[in-house]
Amino acid sequence: MAPPPPATAVVDTLRPTSVPRDSRINVDIMAHTKGVQWPYFLALGAAVFGVIQAVLVLAWQTYAGLGVAGYQAPVFWGVYIITFVFWIGIGHAGTLISAILFLFRAKWRNAVNRGAEAMTVFAVLTAALFPLIHIGRLWKFYFLLPYPNQRGLWVNFKSPLLWDVFAVNTYMLISIIFFYVGLIPDIAVARDRATGFKKIVYTILALGWQGTGRQWKAHNRTVLHLSGLATPLVLSVHSVVSWDFAMSIVPGWHATIFAPYFVAGAVFGGFAMVIVVLIPVRRIFGLEAYLTDYHFENMSRFILLTSLICGYAYGAEYFIAWYSAVEYEQTSFWLRAFGPYWFSAWCMILFNAVFPQLLWFKRLRTNLPFLFVLCFLINLGMWFERYVIIITSLSREYIPAAWGLYIPSAVELSVLAGSFCWFGMWFLLFLKIFPVIAIAEVKELAIHEKEHGGAH
Amino acid sequence: MPELDRRDFLRLVGAGAGAAASTACNDPIEKLVPYVIQPEVITPGIPVFYASTCRECPAGCGIHVKTREGRPIKLEGNPSHPVNRGALCARGQVGIGRAYHPDRYVGPLSRAAAGKLEPISWPDASAELVAKLGAAAGQVWVMGGQVGPTLSSVIDGFVSAAGAAGRLVYEPFGYEALREATKAVFGVSATPVFDTGKADLIIDFGSDFLDTWLSPVEHARQLSEARDVGQHADGGTRVVSIGPRLGVTTSASDRWIPAKPGSEGGLALALARAIYEKRGAPAGGDAAAIESVLRDADAAAASAADVERGVVEELATLLLEAKRPLVLPPGVALASTAATATTAAVLLIDALLGAVGSSLLIPTEPTTPQTASMADIQKLIGAMNAGQVKVLLLHDTNPLYSLPASSGFAQALSKVDYVVSTASMRDETSEIAHLVLPDHSAMESWGDAVPRPGVRSLVQPTLRPLHDSQALGDTLLEIGRALGGQMPEGGFRQVLEGAWSDTDFRVALGNGGVFSDVPSQQVDIAPSLADLRVSEASLVGSGDHTLVAYPHSFFGDGSGAAQPWLQETPDPVTKLSWGSWAEMSFHTAEKLGVTFGDVVSLTSDAGSIELSSLPRGGIRDDVIAVAIGQGHTVGHYASMAGDGEPGVARGASVISILPTASDETGGRVWLGTRVRVAKSGRFRRLALSQWTDNQRGRGLAREVSLAALAGGSEGHGGEAGGGHGGGHSEPPHTFEPAYDALPGQPYRWGMSVDTDRCTGCSACVTACAIENNSPVVGELQSIQHREMNWMRIERYVGDGDRRGGAERRPFPDREKLGEIDVRHLPMPCQHCGAAPCEAVCPVIATYHTEEGINGMVYNRCVGTRYCANNCVYKVRRYNYWDYGNDNFPGLLGLMLNPDVTVRQQGVMEKCSFCIQRIEAARQPAKDEGRVIADGEVQTACQQTCPTQAITFGNTRDEKSQVVARANESGRAYHALQDLNTRPAITYLAQVKREDHEGSH
Repeated sequence: MAPPPPATAVVDTLRPTSVPRDSRINVDIMAHTKGVQWPYFLALGAAVFGVIQAVLVLAWQTYAGLGVAGYQAPVFWGVYIITFVFWIGIGHAGTLISAILFLFRAKWRNAVNRGAEAMTVFAVLTAALFPLIHIGRLWKFYFLLPYPNQRGLWVNFKSPLLWDVFAVNTYMLISIIFFYVGLIPDIAVARDRATGFKKIVYTILALGWQGTGRQWKAHNRTVLHLSGLATPLVLSVHSVVSWDFAMSIVPGWHATIFAPYFVAGAVFGGFAMVIVVLIPVRRIFGLEAYLTDYHFENMSRFILLTSLICGYAYGAEYFIAWYSAVEYEQTSFWLRAFGPYWFSAWCMILFNAVFPQLLWFKRLRTNLPFLFVLCFLINLGMWFERYVIIITSLSREYIPAAWGLYIPSAVELSVLAGSFCWFGMWFLLFLKIFPVIAIAEVKELAIHEKEHGGAH
Repeated sequence: MPELDRRDFLRLVGAGAGAAASTACNDPIEKLVPYVIQPEVITPGIPVFYASTCRECPAGCGIHVKTREGRPIKLEGNPSHPVNRGALCARGQVGIGRAYHPDRYVGPLSRAAAGKLEPISWPDASAELVAKLGAAAGQVWVMGGQVGPTLSSVIDGFVSAAGAAGRLVYEPFGYEALREATKAVFGVSATPVFDTGKADLIIDFGSDFLDTWLSPVEHARQLSEARDVGQHADGGTRVVSIGPRLGVTTSASDRWIPAKPGSEGGLALALARAIYEKRGAPAGGDAAAIESVLRDADAAAASAADVERGVVEELATLLLEAKRPLVLPPGVALASTAATATTAAVLLIDALLGAVGSSLLIPTEPTTPQTASMADIQKLIGAMNAGQVKVLLLHDTNPLYSLPASSGFAQALSKVDYVVSTASMRDETSEIAHLVLPDHSAMESWGDAVPRPGVRSLVQPTLRPLHDSQALGDTLLEIGRALGGQMPEGGFRQVLEGAWSDTDFRVALGNGGVFSDVPSQQVDIAPSLADLRVSEASLVGSGDHTLVAYPHSFFGDGSGAAQPWLQETPDPVTKLSWGSWAEMSFHTAEKLGVTFGDVVSLTSDAGSIELSSLPRGGIRDDVIAVAIGQGHTVGHYASMAGDGEPGVARGASVISILPTASDETGGRVWLGTRVRVAKSGRFRRLALSQWTDNQRGRGLAREVSLAALAGGSEGHGGEAGGGHGGGHSEPPHTFEPAYDALPGQPYRWGMSVDTDRCTGCSACVTACAIENNSPVVGELQSIQHREMNWMRIERYVGDGDRRGGAERRPFPDREKLGEIDVRHLPMPCQHCGAAPCEAVCPVIATYHTEEGINGMVYNRCVGTRYCANNCVYKVRRYNYWDYGNDNFPGLLGLMLNPDVTVRQQGVMEKCSFCIQRIEAARQPAKDEGRVIADGEVQTACQQTCPTQAITFGNTRDEKSQVVARANESGRAYHALQDLNTRPAITYLAQVKREDHEGSH
C-alpha cells in the first residue's frame, strides 16, 4: 500500500476552495445536529419500529423457548451467533482507525474516526446482546461471570466461550471510554452553542472542558494511552471470537488460521461498514468538504488489503482440507462449496474475495456510488462468511446419520433485521446529538496547516 | 379516625410487604406429606417390583413392574419367564403408558338422546345393559380379542347367561393359516412353537420372526445365542430370508431372496420336492399323501417367483447339508389367498427335514379359544346386516379400525341396536358405542395368560384404579348374575384364584406364573395332506403393483399407535417416525416422477389412500409396501388430536384399502390386492430420523468376515473402515481406565455393544425414554430433528463411500435388492475419557465425574449449546421447549421416574449411563463395605435388549463382563477412534458370515 500523503495534501483536499475559519468548521460540522427533516424522522421511525418488532419477537421467544428459532440438530448455533460475530467484526474498523492509525499518525483518519468510533460502540452494543438472545434464558447469563458466590457456581476457564465473555466486555468498555474521551472537546463546542435543557446535558457531559492547555495536554495523553490499550484489542478480540470455533473439534472450524483470518475479516467488514454508513451521511449533511474522495480511497485500500488476506485464508482452508487427507475435512469443505449451502459459500467468495479486486482501479476507489454498492455487498458477504463457517460446518460433522439442515426461522430473521435497526437507531440518534466528524481534530489539521503555511 | 402510632404503622407495612411478596409467587404450594401409617411394603425411595405379564401382544412376555411409592413407573422383563428371559420389546416397554394415558375413559358413558356420550354411574350403566340384554336374548353377540383363559371362561359364562347367539374371538393377526396348515399336515389343530435357537439353518419364507411374528423377543434371543461367534466359531445359525422387502428379519439374515410376494407357496413346494427326492418320506409319514401334494410342484417355481434359476436347488442343497435346518412359513404380511397351503408346504419341508420335535414343536394342548376366521367374521357381519344382532358387546378389540372398510363392518355396526364397548382407552369403535363400560388398564387388572402351551402367566395389579373403571371380568360377572346366569362366586380375583387352585397362587404370583417346557407330541405327516393344493396367490384389483401391508414393528394391529413413545421411536428399518409412508423401489419412484416425501395415492378396488412416498433400494419393483397401524381418527397421539386437529387421521390406514378376502381355510388375507399408484403433486414431509445410510467409509459400523476373525486380527475392529477419516493404522482397542477416571477409586463405567447381535429393534430406545423421563416431541419437532431420545440406532448399509451429501431432501439410498449388509449402531453418549463437550462448557454444567461418567448438571446449564456442537457423536439433546411442564398430558406425569430430574426449558441433556441405577446399587454395596459387583448395575437399554447386545459394567474390573466381552471378541473398536476421544463404549463389529457377492 502506498504511504499516506503528507498532511498538507489532506488539508488541501479538506478545503478545496478557501480555508474555513474555526467558527466555520464549527458551523459546518455541527449543522447536522440542528433541526430535524422528515427523511430523518422516517429513517428513525423505521429503525425504532424495527427495534420494537424485534423486542416483541424476543419476548415471545423468551416466553415460548428457543424452539421458535430454526435450530435443528446437529446445528445448534444459528443466526444469533452469526450475527454476533458479524457485529463484533464490524466494530474492528473503528478501533483500528482510532487507535492503530492514531499511533501511526495517519492524519487522514481525523475526518473519519468519529464516525468509525461511534459505529464501533454501537456495533459492540449490538453484538453484546446476541449471546443473551442465543442462550434463550437471558436471566441465566450471569452464570458466565466469575464472581465469588455462595452457590458453588464457578466458570470453566478452559472454555473459549468464557474467553469471549472477557474479550467482548473489555472491548465494549474500552470502545465506550475511547469514544467518550474523544468526544469531550466537541461536546464543549456543542455546549457553547446550545440553549435550554440541551445546554445542561452537554454541560454535564463536557466535564467542564475549557480548552485550556493543561486540559489539552491531559486529553492528548489519555487518547494516546487509550490507543495503546486499544491496539492489542483490535487483534485480540476477534482472535478470541475465532477461537470459539478454532478450539473446537468440528471439521471446518478446527484450524490454526482462524485468528488472523478472523481479524482480517473483521477489519475488512468494518471498513466496508464505515463506508456504507459515511457515504449517505456525507451526502445528506453536505460534509463533502470534510469527507473527501481521498478518505474513501484510503479506506478502499484497506479493504483491498484485507480482502486479499481473506481470499488467501479461504484458499488456505481448502488447501489444508485437501492436503490433510482427512475425509471429514474434505467432505466438509466439498459440501461447503457444492452442498446444500453452496449459495452462501459462493456469496462469500464472490463478495469478499473477487469483487473487491476491482479496487485495484483508482477510478473505482474514488467512485462513491460504486463503493457504496461494493461495500454493501461486502457486508452481505461477511455475514455469509460467518454463515458458511457456522452452519455448513455444523451441518456436516462426523456422524453422517446425524447430519442435518438448518433453515433460519422468521423469528431469527426478525431479530437479525432488528439488530440492524438497533444499530441504525443509535447511529441516527448520535447524528443529532454529537458531531459525526471530530471537530477538534479537524481544526488541529487546519492549525497545523496554518502554522506551516502548506509547506511541510 | 383512630390514631396511627408507629407500631401500627410498622405492622401495616410489614403485612403489606408480606402480601406483596406472597402474590408475587404464583406457583401453587405443594406439600410433601409423609405417610401417616406407612404401608408395610413401601419404603419411600425404594422401588418394589411385582411380576406380571405383558398384554401388548399375544406373545405374553413376563414382566416385572417397578413401582415407587405405590405407582408403577417402569416395566422390565421377568428374567425367570421362559418366553422373554428378562428382555422386552419396544411395545412391551411402553405398555405401562396405557395406565396413565390421556385417552383413557375416566368412567362409564352412555349415549344420550342427543347422540353424545354422557357420563353415567356404574349401577345405572349396569341396569341399562341388563335391560337391553334381557330384551335381546338370542340376539346378543360378544366380540373381542384374545384374553387369558380365566377371563375367557368368564366371558363364556356370560355368553350363556345372556343367552347370546355367539362369541367371536377376533385377532387381526390371528395366525389362522398356521393353525389350519398344522391340522392339514399333521392332523393336529394347534399353533406350533418354533425354537429358532435349535436350528443351524433357517429359511424364512417371510415370517419376520425377529420382529412381529408369534414371539419375536423369544426368537430374537434364541437366534442371537445360536449366532454368537464367541460360542460358535463357524458363526452359528445361518438365516436365509425370502420376501419382497428388506425388513428387520431380513436385515439380520445372511442372504435375501427377494421373491415375488404370493409365490412362496410354489417355491416351498418345489423345495419340498427337491428335498423329498433326495431324502424320501420320514418314518411314519404318509408317502402317498406327500407325493400327491408334490405332484403339483412346478419346476419353474423360481422363475414364477422372479428369482434366479437354481435358487430352489441351491436352497435344497443348503437344507440337506444342514444338521438342524428349520423352515419358517410366511407371516402376516404375506398371508395370501394361498396362505394355508403355503404354510403347509413349509411345514412339510420341516417334517421332511426332521425339524419336528426339535426346533418345531407341536403342542399337545390346542390353543384355546381359537381365533375366528375371516369367514366367521363375515358371517357375523351378515347377521348384523340382517338385523339379527340387537346387542353387540365388544372387548379388547377395535374392529372399526382393524377390519377392512370393504368388509362392511361399519355399515353393519350401524344396524346394531345397542353396541357396548369395554375399551379402557378411546378408539374408533368405542367412540360410536352406545354404552362404554371402561375396563381397567393392564396395570390395574388381575388376569392370566397362556402365551404358549406350558407357560401359565399371571397378570396382577400394581396400581389402584386411577379412574372410575371396572375390570371386565367383574363387569361380566355382575351382569351375568343380574341376568340370572350361573356365574362363579365372588369377584374376578376370586375366580382367578379358583382357576389357579391347582398351584400355590402366592408362589405363582411371585414368580409371574407357572412355567414348564412345551408339552409337545410326536406327530407324523397325516393323510389329510393329500387334500392340499398349492396354488399361486390370487390378487384382486388392477394396477402394476402388489400391495404389501406389513405389520409395523411397534404398532401391531394398530393398538400401538396410541403410544407416544412408539410413534416417536424411528422405525427400525425406514428410520421414519410418526407418519405413514409408501415404500417403493427407486425404479417405481422414478417412473412416477416422485421422490422422498412426495404424496402418492394408492388405489385398490376397495378404496384409496394418500401418503408420502419412500423410495428405497430394498424392495421389489412390483411391490408397494405400507406399514399397518397408522391412520387412526381417534386418540391423543394416534390421531392428530394432540396436535390440535381432533378427528383428523395421523397418516393413512392401509387396512382401509385391503380387500375382504380369506384363504383356503377362511384365514384372513393381508396380501390380496394390487394397487394403482399415482402422483398427487403434493409434498408431505416425513420425520426421517437420520440423514443418510451412507457411512462414507468412516468405519462407524464395521463388519468383519469370519475368516478375518478366525485369522485373529486382534483388537482391530473389523476392516479398516476408517478409510480416509480413520487413518491407516489405528491403535488397538483398549479401555483406558487409568486416565479416564479419578485414580485410586474402583470404578470407570463403560459399555460394550455387540452390533452383531443388534437387530435394530429399538427396545432400548423406548426403555431409555421411559427410564429417563425423555419427553415425546411430536411429529413437527421430529421433522426438525429435535427428538429428545437419549439413544438412537443408526442404520447404515455397507461401508459407504464419498458420494452424496449435497441433497437438501435426503433419504437412505444405499440398499440394493437382494443384498443385505445392514449395520445397526446403537448410539448413546459415549462418555468419552477426553470428552470434547466438557472442555467447552463455560459454566461446568457438563463435567467428568470421578468414576469416568460424563456428567450433566441441568440447573447449571445456561444453554450455550457449545457442547452439542463439539460432541462428535451428536448425542446431546437440547430442550427447545418447556417439555417438563407441557409434555405429560393426562396423568402421564405420574409415570415419571422420581429418580431422574425432569429437565427444564433451555438446558442440554444426554445419556447418563443410567446414573440413578448406579447410585441405587451403590448404597447396598456401601452398607456391606464392598464395591459394586459386576452385573449389579444394569442400564435400562441393556436390561431390555432381547439379544443382550449391550453389556455395562466397571472397566477397572479386569474380570467384568464388559471388559471380557470386548477383549475376547477380537472385534472391538471405538466409534471415531481416530479422534482420540477415548469413549467408554466399545463396539463389537458385525460378523459377515456368508459372501454372496457372486450370486447377485
